[in-house]
Amino acid sequence: MDDLSLLKCLRAGDSSALEVLMGRYAARVYRLAQGITRSASDAEEVVQDVFMTIYRKGDSFEGRSALGSWIYRVTINAALNRRRGKRQEVETSIEENLPAYVEDGHRAGDRTYVLADWSQDPEAALLSEETRGLLNRAIDSLRDDYRAVLVLRDVEDLPNAEIAETIGESVAS
Amino acid sequence: MTCREAIAKLAEYLDAELTPEVLQEIDAHLEICAPCRAYVATYRKTTELVAKVLRVELPEDVKARLRAFLVGHIAHTK
Repeated sequence: MDDLSLLKCLRAGDSSALEVLMGRYAARVYRLAQGITRSASDAEEVVQDVFMTIYRKGDSFEGRSALGSWIYRVTINAALNRRRGKRQEVETSIEENLPAYVEDGHRAGDRTYVLADWSQDPEAALLSEETRGLLNRAIDSLRDDYRAVLVLRDVEDLPNAEIAETIGESVAS
Repeated sequence: MTCREAIAKLAEYLDAELTPEVLQEIDAHLEICAPCRAYVATYRKTTELVAKVLRVELPEDVKARLRAFLVGHIAHTK
């Protein structure tokens, strides 16, 4: 059954439509919410909020975009709203961590110096607790909307154009 | 192509969203620039590991609570 028909059935109180929608979207909503809020309990509340929105406002969804895109936008808004007022950590500036260049556009410093390439490190591949902790702290230090992009791009594999559209509308509102 | 120009197009390069000509220019730059080569390799690996950390499953108890919450609410408003 297509998404629009499922929404109609859901509005009519069909619990099997609810199961199908949950099967299709609940995990994605949770992942995105958890990625933005960095809290399992907040993520659970966001999932409930999002599905209530789907239930209440589903009949106003006109199908101009994919239902998944709409659900992602609702999720991002709900998660960002939950983050407002909780943001106490100092966010890391991306710019401070980008490569530096000299005037001619080449990398600053000795060009024969090879930046430590840990891409071949098997320990990193196994994702030890230490590495996981390091990555989590780095993710925590990002801006909330940057984390949304990370989840949509690197976990949900959305194309860049769809991410830009989803984030753009969410941040603007 | 300079390091700055190559790194500026890194996201599109990794997503294969560049024209063949630009792709070739970047490949040519990476062939001769070890720092940029290391940067791209590390960027790719970091992306892979971050995705592993962020790819969380929906816990069964959360799914059960969500179902109960929604079914209860739908039944209440019928």
